[in-house]
Amino acid sequence: MELDDLKSTWQNEGNTATQNNLTTLMINNMTQEKYNSKIKKIRLPEIIGSSICVIAAGFIALNFNRLDTIVLQGIGVASIIILLIISVLSVLILQRLNLKIDLNKPYAETLKIFATQRLAFYKLQKVNIILCYLLLVTIIVLLPKLFGNKDITEYKYFWLSTFTTGYIVLFFLSKFVSKYYRKTLQQSEELLKELA
Amino acid sequence: MDKKERFIAAIKENEGFIYKIAAVYTNNTEDKNDLVQEIIYQLWKSLDSFNQQSSLNTWMYRVALNVAIFQLKVSKKSISIIPIDEQITNYQEKDDSDNDERWKIFREQIDTLNLLDKGIVLLYLDNKSYEEIAAIVGITKTNVATKLSRIKEKIKTKIHKNL
Repeated sequence: MELDDLKSTWQNEGNTATQNNLTTLMINNMTQEKYNSKIKKIRLPEIIGSSICVIAAGFIALNFNRLDTIVLQGIGVASIIILLIISVLSVLILQRLNLKIDLNKPYAETLKIFATQRLAFYKLQKVNIILCYLLLVTIIVLLPKLFGNKDITEYKYFWLSTFTTGYIVLFFLSKFVSKYYRKTLQQSEELLKELA
Repeated sequence: MDKKERFIAAIKENEGFIYKIAAVYTNNTEDKNDLVQEIIYQLWKSLDSFNQQSSLNTWMYRVALNVAIFQLKVSKKSISIIPIDEQITNYQEKDDSDNDERWKIFREQIDTLNLLDKGIVLLYLDNKSYEEIAAIVGITKTNVATKLSRIKEKIKTKIHKNL
């Protein structure tokens, strides 16, 4: 079997497809706005995540006076910065996802844009994961002070288990992300090389 | 004949290719149906930007392939679209097991190709000339010939290896 032998399968698939016989009404319905709803649905989780980060940063800022040592204040500032960066990254990821492609462009050009966007998207995701690792440390240190002004050593076993669980979850999440993205990244890079 | 009527006539003429593109770029019936709708929706939305530098068919092929790529980007998020009338998507499914087997082999071969090669092969299988493929994909005719020759060799080797 060679490529030309696959032609008959392809033609046959076309014959089956034309039997579907799209009617004027069906085509008419497909041109309506209601079918363009995917992107709108994607926005919601990204917006919620971003809002949570901004709210958390605001909460730390409002309770900053509870952080009574220079170290805690430094960690507080770092947490606010990390939360804001995560929030901005989420918006950037969303923007990349929503970026409209000019459909009139040749296929190769669209592929180039697609592969470039995909690489940038996954790099942003990677940065997000690293920041989450850092945030886990800073938040765990700050939480006892922010909720009840307690010293972290008073509930050391609770915080130790929280810290460990958080890291285990993040470890598996980052493992999953890197495994899932590795192939995609490789494919995107190869595609860009070929299109260069 | 008004704009909408001309559009519907062009869609009917090319519906085979739209369905086939959707079948190749997706992995299940639901995604395939979504992609068919998305292609038709985007074709209608982009119709005003069709500048007549190429034929309407060439332009439709280009948009269909571009939408398929765009859909890949969106489908990574696994979001389903608003359910639509059964009659729109509930088109005849194949029940021919021989055809299914052939289609499975076809997909296995096509899925080993990168997105650029996949687009070129699909146009070639649809009997497009090298000039037309070059116009749709946006590479030179010589490049199309070189790539096709390489793809043919790759598929041949792969099939022989599997035998």
